[in-house]
Amino acid sequence: MARSTCVYVTYIRTTPEKLWSALTDPKFTEQYWFGMRSESPWKAGSPWKLVTGAGEVLDSGEIVESDPPRRLVIRWQNQWNPELKAEGVSLCTMELEPHGTAVKLTVTHSIERDGSKFIVSVSGGWPKVISNLKSLLETGSVVLQDYERKH
Amino acid sequence: MARSTFDYVTYIRVTPERLWQALTDASITQQYWFGMRSESRWAVGSSWQLSFPDGRACDTGEIVEAEPLRRLAIRWQNVVNPEFEAEGAGQCTMELETSGPAVKLTLTHSVDCERSKYIAAASGVWPKVLANLKSLLESGSVVLESY
Repeated sequence: MARSTCVYVTYIRTTPEKLWSALTDPKFTEQYWFGMRSESPWKAGSPWKLVTGAGEVLDSGEIVESDPPRRLVIRWQNQWNPELKAEGVSLCTMELEPHGTAVKLTVTHSIERDGSKFIVSVSGGWPKVISNLKSLLETGSVVLQDYERKH
Repeated sequence: MARSTFDYVTYIRVTPERLWQALTDASITQQYWFGMRSESRWAVGSSWQLSFPDGRACDTGEIVEAEPLRRLAIRWQNVVNPEFEAEGAGQCTMELETSGPAVKLTLTHSVDCERSKYIAAASGVWPKVLANLKSLLESGSVVLESY
């Protein structure tokens, strides 16, 4: 089947519990996700949304799998860009695996279509968000304050 | 042409000068690259070698492009695994771009061969090396001590 996928792996000096909390606590996500809050009750079948500080919903969907502090799968649809929204629902999987004194975080984001513009868009976003997350957990502050679209 | 490619982007809170030094100074590479020394004179046409701590070569090649603080391209050939070696030389490009108070590092490693086993292996290694590099530059210590 035709599919577009983006995979991003990093290793973070933290515990699986702290990383899980950083991924699922909107007060924490807004610190490294350029002000966005990732909100959900985090149970399989429950709704999920990514919202700006002003309350605008950028992406929404539902939780497919939630296995704290190991694995999270989100059905994810863009809501702010008509062209990206028209591509339909993507699937974002976050896997946390202990690796020595660190945690390996693997983000796999895919959609069932060739040449997806949505996946191209998130391929540019994930390295910024995850770089910020790693810096915040390891040093206490993020590396990028603003999401510069040209980069 | 059939090609296998690994792409990776990370943002590091550092200056282009310090990042360039971290990529080209073998005494620094061995701190985050699991003891490996990346050695060259870093001029176009000069030889390049990634050496194990005991001095044996792991990969060899030559510098294709060197624009300090901005861009480095290395012709890169594995010399320890016959299967990887048989795939021929690939190219690894590292680009540094200032992004606010950080540097965006873009690494692209490719071999002109479909479903390259070398690129599959490198895809597992680069995230570890670059996670270590980012931690070392931002916090003073690496995140993974052993491979």
